[in-house]
Amino acid sequence: MTHLLEARSVSHTYAADTPALRNVCAPVRSGALYGIVGPNGSGKSTLLRVLCGLLHPNEGEVIIDGQPLRRFGARERARLIAYLPQAVNPAFSLTVFEVACLGRFPHAGFMGALGAADFEVARRCLRDTETESLRDRDFLTLSGGERQRVLLASILAQEPQLILLDEPTSSLDIHHEVEVFDLLRRLAERGYGVCVVTHDLNMAAQYCHELVLLGLDHAVAASGPPAAVLSEATLSAAYGASIRVGTHPFAGTPFVSAAAGRESAS
Amino acid sequence: MTTGNVRPLGIPVLAALCCVILVISVFIGREAISPAQAWREWRAGAPSEEAPALGILLNQRLPRTLAALLAGAGLALAGCAFQALLRNPLATPYTLGVASAGALGAWSAFLLVDMGIIAGVLLRLPAVQVFAFLFAGADMLLVYLLAARRSRTSPAVLLLAGVTLGMLANSGIMLTRYLARPDRLVMMDRWLMGGVDVLGYKPVFTLAVGVIPCALILLAQAPHFDQIAFSTDLAAGRGVRVNRLQAVTFLVGSLMTAIIVSEVGPIGFVGLIVPHSVRAVTGSRHRLLMPVCVLAGGAFLCCCDIIARRAMPGETPIGIITTLIGGPFFLYLLMRRKFTDWA
Repeated sequence: MTHLLEARSVSHTYAADTPALRNVCAPVRSGALYGIVGPNGSGKSTLLRVLCGLLHPNEGEVIIDGQPLRRFGARERARLIAYLPQAVNPAFSLTVFEVACLGRFPHAGFMGALGAADFEVARRCLRDTETESLRDRDFLTLSGGERQRVLLASILAQEPQLILLDEPTSSLDIHHEVEVFDLLRRLAERGYGVCVVTHDLNMAAQYCHELVLLGLDHAVAASGPPAAVLSEATLSAAYGASIRVGTHPFAGTPFVSAAAGRESAS
Repeated sequence: MTTGNVRPLGIPVLAALCCVILVISVFIGREAISPAQAWREWRAGAPSEEAPALGILLNQRLPRTLAALLAGAGLALAGCAFQALLRNPLATPYTLGVASAGALGAWSAFLLVDMGIIAGVLLRLPAVQVFAFLFAGADMLLVYLLAARRSRTSPAVLLLAGVTLGMLANSGIMLTRYLARPDRLVMMDRWLMGGVDVLGYKPVFTLAVGVIPCALILLAQAPHFDQIAFSTDLAAGRGVRVNRLQAVTFLVGSLMTAIIVSEVGPIGFVGLIVPHSVRAVTGSRHRLLMPVCVLAGGAFLCCCDIIARRAMPGETPIGIITTLIGGPFFLYLLMRRKFTDWA
């Protein structure tokens, strides 16, 4: 069954005079990888939290499969939509397997009781993210790339239909970044609806099916396939800086580069 | 619970250990009581005034042991819950100033009773206890309200607010000391050192009524504590109502601690070192960690009370014992733990 999560004309303001989102529309559909991109402070993370149902916008609505998301109970919502926040800093040690089991929370029985079936799901999710061999390691001792894959296993264990991630690759080296995006693309191809906030426009261009570009005015500057969104004119306007777009030498997708100050002056 | 690193035998072993300590605690004290003599008196059915051994056993040793068990269990559990809630290994109701505030309440009551402003007994409880409870509870409420003014309760703000309120309470204590009659200072000082040397079952009953329901409510939140200790945002995404969990835990944990402090005085370090030591054995899953904290906290305070009775001629205040054991042990943990755990 395919699902459709949609932000419809969402506007949100945190404090009296600091808008965070202005009339934003964004869909997340099963079977595709979406990217939310834009400059710092444009409202990417806010949009993601709105889509997860963690933040109720002042105006507009989030609809899932034709129903308002706010009508869903918190645990019911968590069985449909999984959210991976930007910084996850556990206060105490847990093993990798325990971290994966944490994902079963929305399905757990009385007093958080987990059964054999839950442990099987957790094991399967560790296999899916190729972290099975780490299962008895302390999560706090893992490398950045390993951590991110284990966290992915943990949110997959929620057995959601849609997965929303806030900058999952921001602290990873280039190799591990590719690994995570490969995994996200595979998940989308297996039928999940995946939406990722990222600063890496070139990764977004290579991996995402569709992009939503937010501008400094907190409104959608462009949305659609990467080739349509990532043009020099729209990007330069959205980022308020001179941005050059060429063609990626290997992937053939748009290749984005910020022009250095000297160059933009000329 | 078979998630890799748990010891399924932990709970039964600790429960058995608790029972053993309870039995030992009943028979150890200033006056040695032989189990055989108590048994003979029990068999003879003599009234307790004519049965010295049994009388001490039932009216002094047993209530005292039960009070230590309840107070220790409650303090350890509250500490464990606050550490998870505030995602900080140093966060306990004591760090938030509850002990100083309770002491200020008790000292104010001493002073006000001496000055004849309030009666010595309020609501059929000693005024000292009522005031200690009210001040301790007010401290926690104030800390929470100060921090909850923001959209999301920040652990750092909570801790700083608690530390500051604790310092304010300490200066209040200085003021009451200054105003008090010199001959009353010894008595007031003694309260500050804590003690489970209760007589009869009324204090045990008060403790049980306060601690048991609060403990059950906190234990029921165990899976939520797992989530919030791992990541607050991730927990929210998984359906934990973070604000409600914070409010409930704060209210219930503070109530429980205030009742314990008002009954046995400010006994430090139990809520800090017991959860840490237990976590090293059970791991951080709260469904296992919290029940074991209850048992271990009770056993720990019982042991400290046994030492308090035997260490020196006469009684040693139990608050001194727990701090003398807890302080160095905590420093040891601090040195041994990986730095990342404390970030």
